[in-house]
Amino acid sequence: MREHLKEIVEALIFISVEPLTPAKIKSVLPDVTEDEVKQAVDELQASFEGADHGIHIAATAGGYQLATKPDYDPQVRRLLQIERKSRLSRAALETLSIVAYHQPVTQAEVNALRSVADSSFTLHTLLQKKLIKISGRKKAPGSPLLYKTSEDFLIYFGLNDLSELPSQEEIARILEQENNAET
Amino acid sequence: MDNTDLTPDAPPEGAPAAADGYRVKLEVFEGPLDLLLFLIRKKKIDIHDIPIAVITREYLDYLNCKVNINLDREAEFLFMAALLIYIKSQFLLPREQPLTEEEDPRKPLVDRLLDYQKIRAASVLLKEKEDEQLHVWKRTSLPLLPAPVEEGLDLIEVSLFDLAESFFAILKKREFDHHRLLKGKDISLEDKMKEIIALLREKTFIDFLEYLESQESMEEALVGFFCLLELIKSHLVIAVQERLFHSIKVWLRKDAPRMKTP
Repeated sequence: MREHLKEIVEALIFISVEPLTPAKIKSVLPDVTEDEVKQAVDELQASFEGADHGIHIAATAGGYQLATKPDYDPQVRRLLQIERKSRLSRAALETLSIVAYHQPVTQAEVNALRSVADSSFTLHTLLQKKLIKISGRKKAPGSPLLYKTSEDFLIYFGLNDLSELPSQEEIARILEQENNAET
Repeated sequence: MDNTDLTPDAPPEGAPAAADGYRVKLEVFEGPLDLLLFLIRKKKIDIHDIPIAVITREYLDYLNCKVNINLDREAEFLFMAALLIYIKSQFLLPREQPLTEEEDPRKPLVDRLLDYQKIRAASVLLKEKEDEQLHVWKRTSLPLLPAPVEEGLDLIEVSLFDLAESFFAILKKREFDHHRLLKGKDISLEDKMKEIIALLREKTFIDFLEYLESQESMEEALVGFFCLLELIKSHLVIAVQERLFHSIKVWLRKDAPRMKTP
């Protein structure tokens, strides 16, 4: 493994505001292979997981990003003088799940799945929060807009990519739990 | 039949931020399917075998005890009530042959409920992830420091939607104070573009909203808006935002191809 590669990668991740992708790292280090980058990141991640660090390297949205460990949340909030982060409403979460699992979707499809007449308000809020984006228009009467989840969506939920969304099995398990709780 | 626990108990979790300013969201159920699912669960009923009469009665009781009326939302709930009653009526009709499973009038409803249940479960899981992330801080979650004034480097470049949204906000605002007569002045796109470029040369940047608002007529503002879009598209200017929800500023691009000054 290349000398100081681990340290270089650490520096690059430190200075990036957005998740730093392996491809970006490689573009700075032309003669390093992808495997070497990956290995360096793995080693870095392992060393940060130890008890003597307050931050770790999170894999989000296909890249790497420094993040504080959950244990130190109270102190971080005190420093930033933030009471707590705002959460999404239930309507927003439901709509997001629909967009996430059925993307790209139109507003009419979202309405039908939630069986409400109008989701435009919720979709608009999600667009404003940049959790979803418009990906084009559907080739259907009226060419309705199509919605997709954005990169910020992955970052918000700490997902690396869409395959990390809760799987059908996990969903089935939740349903079973709910049914068992009642019968 | 007791319907004591049908009264709305608590607002939904994570009541929307104050910014939403949307009364409707304070209701307990997010749409008619949500209520239906709740009733089915409460009665410990198998979702595939809904006793329509029982459920409909409870459903109507809920509608009767609701205080806030919002026509759009009530319509959704009433539509569902009508659907339930229709299904019941289908059962009451005498038939020569018993219905097969496929013909069960409840089937479309059950299918929708099952789909909806899945979405609910998925959103529960997403919520768990959200909760986890609430205690994690990244640089992206930091409130931005006051933006530098001289250079456009650290600013967020805004998308077309941001621009359009701001513009529509102006349109809305203008609707109210638009009693003046429109002047029959012709404004050409080209002239306006030159005007904007000249203005930018003079002032380094202009405030997108202020500029459009300062326009004499709606028509002129509209032309101005299109000019800005055109200029952004041809990479002559750049539209940036200092922070989220702050004003959008338009800068002349340093590397922009030269354009003839009028």
